[in-house]
Amino acid sequence: MTVMPQGIEKLVNSSYEFGFFTKIDADTVPPGIDEEVIRLISAKKQEPQWMLDYRLKAFAHWQTMTGPAWAHLKLAPIDYQAISYYSAPKTQADGPKSLDEIDPQLLDTYNKLGIPLEEQKALAGIAVDAVFDSVSVATTFRKKLHEAGVIFCSMSEAIREYPDLVQQHLGSVVPFKDNFFACLNAAVFTDGTFVYIPEGVRCPMELSTYFRINEAKTGQFERTLIVAEKGSYVSYLEGCTAPMRDENQLHAAVVELIAMDDARIKYSTVQNWYPGDKNGRGGIYNFVTKRGECRGDRSRISWTQVETGSAITWKYPSCILRGNDSAGEFYSVAVTRGKQQADTGTKMIHLGRNTTSTIVSKGISAGEGQNTYRGLVRMSPRAENGRNHTQCDSLLIGDQCGAHTFPYIEVRNPSANVEHEATTSKISEDQLFYCRQRGLSEEDAVSMIVNGFCKEVFNQLPMEFAVEAQKLLSVTLEGAVG
Amino acid sequence: MLQITDLHAAIDNKPILQGLNLTVNAGEVHAIMGPNASGKSTLAHVLAGKDGYDVTQGSVIYNGQNLLELAAEERARQGIFLAMQYPVELPGVNNMVFLRESLNAIRRARGESELDAVAFLRLVKEKAKLVHLDEKLLKRSVNTGFSGGEKKRNEILQMALLEPTLAILDETDSGLDIDALRVVAEGVNALRNPQRAMIVVTHYQRLLDYIEPDYVHVLANGKIIRSGTKQLARELEAKGYGWITGGAAA
Amino acid sequence: MNLAESNRQWLHNLITQGQHLPGQQLDWLNQTRQTARQLMASLELPHRKQEAWRYTSIERLTKYNFLHAPENDGTLPDTGIGEWILPDNGSYRLVFINGHCAPRLCDIRGLPRNVAIGCLRASMSTDGEVIQHYLSKQFVPSSPDLFTALNTANIDDGLFVHIPKNVTLDKPVEVLHLNLARDSELLILPRHLVVIEAGASATLIERYASHGSHAYFSNNVSEVFVNDNARLSHYRIQDESSQSHHLGRVNILQGADSNYKGVYLALGGSWSRCEIDARFAGKGAHCDINGLYTVHDKQLTDFHLNVLHNQTHCSSRENFRGIIAGSGRAVFDGRIVVDKQAQKTDAQLTNKNLLLSHDAEVDTKPQLEIYADDVKCSHGTTVGQIDPKQVFYLRSRGIDEAMARKMLCLGFAEEILEQLELPEVRSFVENRVQDTLFAPH
Repeated sequence: MTVMPQGIEKLVNSSYEFGFFTKIDADTVPPGIDEEVIRLISAKKQEPQWMLDYRLKAFAHWQTMTGPAWAHLKLAPIDYQAISYYSAPKTQADGPKSLDEIDPQLLDTYNKLGIPLEEQKALAGIAVDAVFDSVSVATTFRKKLHEAGVIFCSMSEAIREYPDLVQQHLGSVVPFKDNFFACLNAAVFTDGTFVYIPEGVRCPMELSTYFRINEAKTGQFERTLIVAEKGSYVSYLEGCTAPMRDENQLHAAVVELIAMDDARIKYSTVQNWYPGDKNGRGGIYNFVTKRGECRGDRSRISWTQVETGSAITWKYPSCILRGNDSAGEFYSVAVTRGKQQADTGTKMIHLGRNTTSTIVSKGISAGEGQNTYRGLVRMSPRAENGRNHTQCDSLLIGDQCGAHTFPYIEVRNPSANVEHEATTSKISEDQLFYCRQRGLSEEDAVSMIVNGFCKEVFNQLPMEFAVEAQKLLSVTLEGAVG
Repeated sequence: MLQITDLHAAIDNKPILQGLNLTVNAGEVHAIMGPNASGKSTLAHVLAGKDGYDVTQGSVIYNGQNLLELAAEERARQGIFLAMQYPVELPGVNNMVFLRESLNAIRRARGESELDAVAFLRLVKEKAKLVHLDEKLLKRSVNTGFSGGEKKRNEILQMALLEPTLAILDETDSGLDIDALRVVAEGVNALRNPQRAMIVVTHYQRLLDYIEPDYVHVLANGKIIRSGTKQLARELEAKGYGWITGGAAA
Repeated sequence: MNLAESNRQWLHNLITQGQHLPGQQLDWLNQTRQTARQLMASLELPHRKQEAWRYTSIERLTKYNFLHAPENDGTLPDTGIGEWILPDNGSYRLVFINGHCAPRLCDIRGLPRNVAIGCLRASMSTDGEVIQHYLSKQFVPSSPDLFTALNTANIDDGLFVHIPKNVTLDKPVEVLHLNLARDSELLILPRHLVVIEAGASATLIERYASHGSHAYFSNNVSEVFVNDNARLSHYRIQDESSQSHHLGRVNILQGADSNYKGVYLALGGSWSRCEIDARFAGKGAHCDINGLYTVHDKQLTDFHLNVLHNQTHCSSRENFRGIIAGSGRAVFDGRIVVDKQAQKTDAQLTNKNLLLSHDAEVDTKPQLEIYADDVKCSHGTTVGQIDPKQVFYLRSRGIDEAMARKMLCLGFAEEILEQLELPEVRSFVENRVQDTLFAPH
């Protein structure tokens, strides 16, 4: 059948839709990292002493670590001294107080991305904290959230205004010693988002952050912390894009979630960083540590991600199920094409009694993309009646791509039940013929089948995001056939 | 409407159809019968444009144009419908979404306007009644987890929706119990009209008790070796295929 | 001495022994041994940071100063070998004691002409060409392995089976590998070679057993060649003493349209690990590998399975089940790799585990690595326990709880046991499974 090769060619050649570059004067620290740079970042952000101490401690430890070597990732060595660790739009110095004060070019960038920053989107009831390179430039709906007692602000602001909350929780889920990139992040993180939902509060709107890497050769080291007190609920959306560049840009974020008794956190990501050109040049290295702790009983954390971008993605949003009867969920769609590599999955660490976890991972590989699911399910000795169900499906489009599944299952408790299932298939010729016989073009047929393949995951996304994700998938696989 | 002349087709260099001739006019129902591996399904697939078949000789003219040059979806848009012997499952693809995409693709090709969600829903519900298809199945993934009978009814539902000019039913009776067979046949009969032709491919005469053909053809070794009326089918049932193929009864 | 140093010393002791092996007049053999010895020098001892050894520590091995097993002295246990061999079922029988053939215990009467079943050392003179062609040459492991190299550096004796073209062997070949551990701590390094030529077929039953209560370490390597359109049924039963350490490697290379069926049983031993590596030299072959492990007390059982689909139209089924009781630990690491060129591959990997006690542990890692698109691959894993509802159902029918659990365990094992097509083997294994799991330890 001639469908696929033709499809691959188009697919490989389809270009990055969000590849534009915004010209803004930026306040950028020269490349390189040492104690001075860290002191400078801390000083620029007017941080308290404890924060600086924390950074320096992390940096000292980072210097003793070596970068990971992964069997299934091919990447050029990263020169950490060539990266600039701080880049803020210059206008930030004056501190925009409202949307009107924000650089119109910046707003224009957001508009191109379709970011719900302005009025039209205000009607949709979304609060946005946009992170442009390293500094949070605007936060909307602060007031309404404030009335509900919800704190939603940039991390820098939180460190200044809510130091006790930040000091109490920062690094409590992802300690700086956790891994190489988390440690680097702890030393040099520039900004990010802080969310605090007080006891019993259901956050009145979806919270949203858009990450975008703009400045050349800047690493983006975001730090996000979400704390949901007893009985509270929050749904948080994160979207990521980056402009086209020749060099690989490093993104090493840390996200920490904490859910107390009966709290629920829903964290959704649509990641569309620049994947590099068809020769594998440029693109984002996306090495992110995301971890949630179900600290309280009956708490629940859901991760949902749609990953279509980045040259290399290395990401395992995880749950530590400490509270009894707590639940962790991971829903993922990862698409790789061109020379993209995605190594993603989750860790579900069952510590409490009657804890449950659900993993649904859908990998789509096209072109020369390599898609790897890597997951860990651990039932500790105290995790009586722990339950896990894992479903990993891979869909292959073309014969140059790869799909790999590496689940690790460690069971230390006999009352645990763990089930793992994985399948690999390609879009079958019979399926395509069936659709074509009913008058559909191959392209529509593929898009329909792919969306069907991913449906279980899309169903987990908030409505608006689900539509966007489907659109993104269509764009990504545009011209996949015919 | 359809003229097949000296058609030869092969799979992996293995000849299956070896000089088949058949003419079908509007309003006619033709039954193609034959033993296993006589080429019945190959004929259906070649007409619908499935990949993997090499037409090595002969021609197929459909409404004045060379059918063999058209892609499968082009043929569908020009009114050729194949009810498949083994309808394919499309996990995760909602049946309603699928039906609507399909219908609108074909309507666009005919120069008709696309149906909006409400009009479409009304139409589907009406057609579903015709084939006694549980409305719940409309909300599920296409054919996924459907019973054999449900899959076949879903095929006839699609046929009713798409209103083809030439419908090819490939072993629509296989695996059906008698009730399901009756329902499917009723659905098919309701769609008979003077503008529409049908080719009913079957191994058994039983289906023809329910769908009365105008002509019956016997296919063996890739050729039509005998043509007649319904009476031919009855004789076949009584005497077995060996009666005319010369070999053992199949 | 720190740990790293003592480990190096331990390894050094293993390497420097066994310099005076027979067969020195064979250049190719010397060369093979020499290459392996050099390879060893470049490799480090396995440690937990290596992916293949993530869940299995070799600490239990490095505790002992193993010495190369001497030629066997021929003294057998008073009870004879009856308890370890099948009731007389008319098989060709070979017995190896501490890795060396014990001719007076073997029985290969009636062996068809041209079929060779015997010991590797003696066959060097009669079947030298076949051995030279296959041994350590045709199957090159994907990555160098220390213990395989240790074995290769010491190639001396072991099982040799050669079934010539188009011969269907009339009776199964039964091989007993008996390890006598009467005094010192022995290192036993048998090397086995099984060649089924094109169109031939055979059944091979291997059993590893021990007598005596001393620790020993059996580091055995088998190379199995099932050539075009050939067939081999291979039952490998590892059932050794609670002081035994067993590291078995089986490398399988299959020709076009061949069929290999393996049933691997790991029932005993203090520390046992079996590494199975299968791949293809031709299209259209089928590989079927089944396994059952029962683990109790402080046992550790580890299965590493690596099936490399490097040819089109091949299929494989890997089905492993484990029952883990007491403070037993089981490790399962199964991997299916489908190369770019291996279109139309159909592969399935299944691993199911039953945990019977609170101290039992299992680590399982079923992996798919797929570089071709027109393939059908799946894997499934479960870890669970005996369903209380099923126990209750049996009890409500008058069966006591212990019996009910036993029935359910055997039921769980049944899917693997039923793969043992010879009734004698099956009933024998079934009894052993019951003993190992339910006899008081």
